[in-house]
Amino acid sequence: MGDQGGMAAQMQRKAIAERGALPRAVGRLLRACAAAFLAMAPALAMAQGNVTSVQTVFLTAADVGQIISQAVQEAQARNRPATIAVTDRVGNVLGVFRMNGAPVELRVTTNRNIPVGNGLEQVEQVLAALSTTLGTVNGAPTTDLSAIAKAITGAYLSSSGNAFTTRTASQIVQENFNPLEFRAPGGPLFGVQFSQLPCSDLNLREPQGSVGPKRSPLGLSADPGGIPLYKNGFVVGAIGVESDGIYTIDRIVTDIDTSDDELIATAGTFGFEAPIDIRANRITVGGKTLRFVDRDRLDRNNPLYSNPAAAPAFAAIDTVLGNRVGVRNYFSNAGNPNPPPALRGGTAYGDPASGYAPDPTGNLSAFGPAFVLRDPTTPTNNRFPPIAGSGPPGAALTANEVATLLQNALKTAFAGRAQIRRPLDSFIQVTVSVVDVNGVVLGIARTPDAPIFGTDVSLQKARTAMFISRSPQITGGSAAFLLQQFNSTVASGILVPPQPVGNNALGVFIQLYATGAKQFISGTALDDGIAYSSRGIGNIHRPFYPDGIDGTPNGPFSTPYATWSPFNVGLQLDLVIDNIAQHLVFLRTGAAAAETAAQCSFLPVTAPVGTTKQLANGLQPFAGGFPIYRNGVLVGGIGVSGDGIDQDDSIGFLGLHLAGQALGTGVQNAPAGIRDDVLAPLGARLRYVSCPFQPRAGGNDQNICRGK
Amino acid sequence: MKTRASLLTLLYATTALLSLGAPAWAGKEQINQAANDGEEALLSDSEAQRRAVPGRAPRDAQQPTPTDNPGAVPPAPPNLPREFIPVPDRWRLSDAIGVVTETIDPYKQNVLKGDRPVWGRDWFVNLSAISDTVFEQRRVPTPVVFQSSNQAGANDQFSRYGQNFIAQNVIGSFSLIKGNTAFKPPDFELRLSPVFTYTRLDVQEVGITDADPTKGTVRNDTHFGVAEAFVDYHIHNVSERYDFDSIRLGIQPFSTDFRGFLFQDSQLGARLFGNRFNNKLQYNIAWFRRLEKDTNSGQNDIFRRMRDDDIFIANLYFQDAFTLGYTPQFTVVHNRNRENSRFYYDDNDFLQRPASLGDERQRRYNVTYVGFNGDGHFGRVNLTHSVYGAFGTDKNNQFTGREADIRAYFAAAEPSVDFDWIRVRGSFVYASGDKDPFDDTEGGWSGIFENPQIAGSDTSYWIRQGIPFIGGGGVGLKQRNSVTADLRTSKEHGQSNFNNPGILLLGGGADFDVLPELRLTTNINHLSFADTSNIEFLRNQGSISTSIGWDVSAAATYRPLNNQNIVFRLSGAVLFPGEGLKRIYSFEDDNQDPLYSILANLILTY
Repeated sequence: MGDQGGMAAQMQRKAIAERGALPRAVGRLLRACAAAFLAMAPALAMAQGNVTSVQTVFLTAADVGQIISQAVQEAQARNRPATIAVTDRVGNVLGVFRMNGAPVELRVTTNRNIPVGNGLEQVEQVLAALSTTLGTVNGAPTTDLSAIAKAITGAYLSSSGNAFTTRTASQIVQENFNPLEFRAPGGPLFGVQFSQLPCSDLNLREPQGSVGPKRSPLGLSADPGGIPLYKNGFVVGAIGVESDGIYTIDRIVTDIDTSDDELIATAGTFGFEAPIDIRANRITVGGKTLRFVDRDRLDRNNPLYSNPAAAPAFAAIDTVLGNRVGVRNYFSNAGNPNPPPALRGGTAYGDPASGYAPDPTGNLSAFGPAFVLRDPTTPTNNRFPPIAGSGPPGAALTANEVATLLQNALKTAFAGRAQIRRPLDSFIQVTVSVVDVNGVVLGIARTPDAPIFGTDVSLQKARTAMFISRSPQITGGSAAFLLQQFNSTVASGILVPPQPVGNNALGVFIQLYATGAKQFISGTALDDGIAYSSRGIGNIHRPFYPDGIDGTPNGPFSTPYATWSPFNVGLQLDLVIDNIAQHLVFLRTGAAAAETAAQCSFLPVTAPVGTTKQLANGLQPFAGGFPIYRNGVLVGGIGVSGDGIDQDDSIGFLGLHLAGQALGTGVQNAPAGIRDDVLAPLGARLRYVSCPFQPRAGGNDQNICRGK
Repeated sequence: MKTRASLLTLLYATTALLSLGAPAWAGKEQINQAANDGEEALLSDSEAQRRAVPGRAPRDAQQPTPTDNPGAVPPAPPNLPREFIPVPDRWRLSDAIGVVTETIDPYKQNVLKGDRPVWGRDWFVNLSAISDTVFEQRRVPTPVVFQSSNQAGANDQFSRYGQNFIAQNVIGSFSLIKGNTAFKPPDFELRLSPVFTYTRLDVQEVGITDADPTKGTVRNDTHFGVAEAFVDYHIHNVSERYDFDSIRLGIQPFSTDFRGFLFQDSQLGARLFGNRFNNKLQYNIAWFRRLEKDTNSGQNDIFRRMRDDDIFIANLYFQDAFTLGYTPQFTVVHNRNRENSRFYYDDNDFLQRPASLGDERQRRYNVTYVGFNGDGHFGRVNLTHSVYGAFGTDKNNQFTGREADIRAYFAAAEPSVDFDWIRVRGSFVYASGDKDPFDDTEGGWSGIFENPQIAGSDTSYWIRQGIPFIGGGGVGLKQRNSVTADLRTSKEHGQSNFNNPGILLLGGGADFDVLPELRLTTNINHLSFADTSNIEFLRNQGSISTSIGWDVSAAATYRPLNNQNIVFRLSGAVLFPGEGLKRIYSFEDDNQDPLYSILANLILTY
C-alpha cells in the first residue's frame, strides 16, 4: 500500500509538472501525500515483519478476475499466450485461465542436457511414452500445473516480513549459492522444491475444503513467473504464469532476464504488489541479496508492454481471449474439472477456514501468540494438538513433553533475530513440528506470520532427521533397513517396463543409497545409531562433497553431478517420484488411473497403529531438523522451517535443549558423542547444527548453542 | 628520519603482502645518495686534460672555477689557501691514492653499489638485497564455514580466533644507471627487483586458508614476483638547477599522497614527472594499468591477465608554499574500472570479483578523486594532512541493481610536536559512510590501494589486521594494512566498494627515542563506524552501534648498527571491542580474549 501511495504521488507529481500549476498543485500534492500516509499508517504498522496478529484480508473473486485480466492483457501485448493461475495464501486455487493459443504441454528441464529418465528431467517424455505403449495412459504434465505450482510457491514463501518469488526459489535450490558461483556451498533451501508434494500427508486436497495448506502438483517451483499478492502488507495469495511451456530454473543470476512469464505475472500483481521494503532484493543471506524479479514495473525503464490499470474486466475476456481451465483436485467441482469452476475468493489467513489460526487452547502461547493448523473437517479444532508418541515402547514422548517442546521452540523464535524478514530485528517466524520414531505427527505450532511452506517442510525435516538417525534397536529397524523395504506399487504398475521390488518407477534401486552411505561414511553407516540432523544429511545429499566444492564426488544421497539437477537430486526425489508420476498420470487421465495416496514414499509403516509411513511427506535435506533423544534413546524428531536455515537450526536445537531442561525427563538433543559431526568422510567433517550470528536482536551473546 | 620512517613502514607493508616497490624506492634514495657521496664536482673535458697529480702542487692554482651557477654560494677566492681542488677524473684519483675497491662491504668503495662505474665513465650498477622476516601471532575473528568444521561441536558461527602467520620476503634489486654528476639526476636507469615470498598461515578452522575445507588449516605458499621493472629516461634538464622532465615506464612504485591513503603500490604504468623553479614545484602525470596480484604474497603476478582497471593521475607539489618546510599537494586521480565481464577467483578459490555482496552482479565504475594533501611543519608543529572527495558513477549499485552516483569523502590529519627525544602525535581519520543502502548515491569512501601511514600504521591492530565480515558477505569488514572499513573482497584483487560504513579514527601517541638504536612507539586510537546502515542491511541485523573500540599498541624498533642494515621491530596491539563490534563478532567463551596481534619483524638490507 505504501508503495502504491508513493507511486500515486509520483504520478500526480508528474501530472502537475506537466500542467505547470505548481504552487496550488504542490499544496494539493502535500495534502494528498499526508492523507495517503495517514491512511496507510495503521495498515503499515500491522503489516511489517513483526506481526503478531493478522488482518482479515483476502482476495475476492473480483480481485482474482482483475489480476488475471491484467496478466492476460500483458500476455497479449507481448504476444505470449499464457496459462495463468491465482491461489490464496494457503494454496487454494482461485482461478486458472488459459489464453487461446497458450501451450498446453509442459516440458520439464534445467537445460543441462541431462538424459531422459533422470528424475523429473524431461519426465514428460517418459510419461507421454505411456500413451503409445498402453494406448490410453499419458501422464505428461501440463502448463496449468506449472502455473499453479508457481502461484503456490510465491504465496508459500512469502509473509508480511518477506516477499519471495519463484525466482527467489531458483536462486536458493541450486548446487551453488549463488548459482554457478564456483566453490560456493549449495543453496540454503536445497531440496525445498520437493515439498508440498501431491502425496503429502500434511498438505490437503481441494475436495477437503478451504482449509490449507494445500499441496502443489509439482512441488515448489523455481521457474520465474510466480509472484506473491498483497493487501495492506499481508500476503493474500500469488499469481503463477506459464507462457513458454518450459518448466525450468534460472541458472544464470548475474544477468537481467526479460522473462515473459515474470513480466506477465508482474502485470497481474498491479494493485496487489508486495511492499518494496520486504522484497527479496532487500533481504540478505550471507550478505547476498535475493532476487525478486529481474525487471519490474517500477524500474526506470518500465518493461511492461501494457498498462495494467487499463485492463478490461474479467467478464470481458473470459471465453473471449481464453477460458477458465478446470484442474482435477485443484480447481474443480468436487474433483470434476468440467465444466471449469467460476473464479473464487480466497480465504483470509488467520481465519479458521484457512486452516491457520491462533491456538484455540492458548496452551502453546506461553511465550507468544502461537498459531496452529486447523482441522479440515472441524476448523475450530487444532489439527495437530500435542499428543503422546506411538513409540518407542516405554520411552515415547508424552503429550506434555511435546507441548513443552513446541513452547520452547516458539520461545526461541519469539526471542530471535530473523534473517529473512524486514524490518531489521524482527523476531523469527517459523513452523515447528514434532514427530515420534514412526513419523507420526505429535504436534505442530507456529508463529503468527510464518511462511506457509515451512509447515510441510518443518515436518519433512523432523521426519528426515528421525528417519536417518534410526538404529537397528528401534522397532521397525534402522534407516538402512527401512530403505531396503522400499516397495513401490507404482513401479510395478503404470510404468513400462515394470520395475523389480526395491526399485522406483525410474529404475533406481533405493537401497543403493544405504549401500552408498556405508561405502562413503563407514561400513556401519545408517545402522550405528549416529544422530543425523537434517543439516548433516544435507551435507551428504549434495552433488559435491564437501558441499559446493565443484569437481569433487557427490555425497552418497545425491546423484552424480553429471546427471544432477534440481529436478534430479537423488534420494529425496527418488523416494517420491513414483507418487509424483502417479499423480501426473491421474491428473491427465482422470478416472483411468488412481490418485496418489496421501502418504509419500512407499517406505513401510512402523507405527503400531495408523497408516503413517516413514517420510510420509517426503525427505528434506536442509538444515532445521534434529532427532530427539531420551537418555540416549531416539524418541522422535523436531523440525523447524520458515526463516534462515541457521535460525531454523537454532530454534530446533535450542528449543529441544530448553525443553529438556524444563522437563527434566531425560528428553534432550543427541549426546555429543553420537552426533553426525563426529564423522569426517573424505576429510571433511559433517555439520550437526549451526546457530546464527547475533541470534537475538539484543544482547551480545553470539554462541548460544556452544557446549549444548 | 623521515626516510627511515617511510622505509620502515613500507617494509612492514611488504610483510603484509603488499607492494615491495616502496622499500626498493626508498632504497634508491640511499643508492643515489651513496653515488653522490662518492663523487666530487666534475669539470669540463678540456680541464680534465690538465689533470692534477696527487702529491704535487697544482699546476695552475689560478684556474678559475666555473661561475655559471648564479644562485650558488660563491667559490672561495682563488688566492686563499685551499685543502682541496677539483679533480676531473676522480676514479683514476681514487686508484692513484690506493683506494681498494670492495666487493662486499657496501660502506667502502664498491662497484656493486654504484660507487664506481662498471663500464665507461658513467655507467653504474647498484645491487641490493633485502631479507624481510615476519612472525605474527594474532587473534582475528574466524568463522566456522558452511560445509564443514575442524572440530566436532562447532555449533555456532565463530571458531577459535588464534592464528599464526609467517612471511619471508627476499627482495633483490638490480639497477643500471647512466649519470655523471652529483647534482644532476641520472640520464637513464634500468631497474629490476624480483621478489621471492614464502608465507605460512596457520589457523584453527577449515575453509579459511582455502575454499575447500579438506585442504585443512595450514597454508604454505611461495611466489616469485616482480616488484619493480622499469626504465627511467631523463628527457632533459630545463634549468641550470637541473630542473628536469623524466619519464618512467614499467612496474614502478607510486603513491598518490604523502601517507598512502588513496593509492600506494608498485604497478605497471607510464609516468612523466619532473620539477620546476629550483625544485619548488614538482609534478607527476601518470597512467597505471593494474597487474593482477598473487593472492597470498601480494606480489605482482606478471603472468596473469591484467586487470581491466586504469588509474590516471596528475599532481603538483609546491615546496615551501605558505611557509618554509611545508609542502602542499594537489591531485586529481581518475580510476576507471571495467571488471564487469567475468568472475575472478583468487588462488584459494574465493570469489574476488564481483564481490559476493548484494546482488553479486559484475560491475564497473568510474570515479574521480580530487585531493589536497600536505606535509611539513609550521614552526614546531609537524603536520601531515589529507582531504579527498570521490565523485563518479557505479554502473551497478550492488544493493539496488541500478546505476548510482558516488559521493564520498575522506579526511585525515596527524599533527605532532617534538620535545627533545619525544614526539607526541595526534591522529584523525574520517572516511564517509553510506547512509542509505537503497538510494542511488554511494557515500562510502573507498580508496584504490591504500597503505595508510598514520595512527601507528601497522603497529595498530585495526590498521594491521584484515577482519572478515562474518555473516555479511564474502568480503572483509576491513583489509590488512588499511584504515577504512570498505567491505571489499581484498586489497589484492577486489574492486573499490563505495557501499560501506566508513570510519572515524581519533587517537594519539608518542614516540620515544630511548637510545640512538632504540625507538619506542605508542598509540591509542578510538575507532567507530561513520554509519552502520550498510552493515545492518548486509547482516539483516538492526541496532549495530557505531563503536568499534579502542586500539592500543606499542612498538620497539631496534637498529643495533644505527643504520638500516639491521632493523628489528617487535610490536604488540590490542583491540578492545566496542558495542558495535560485539554485535558483529563473538567475544565470549573461547573468543573472550581481546583481539591482539604480536609482530616480530627482522629486516636485513645489503
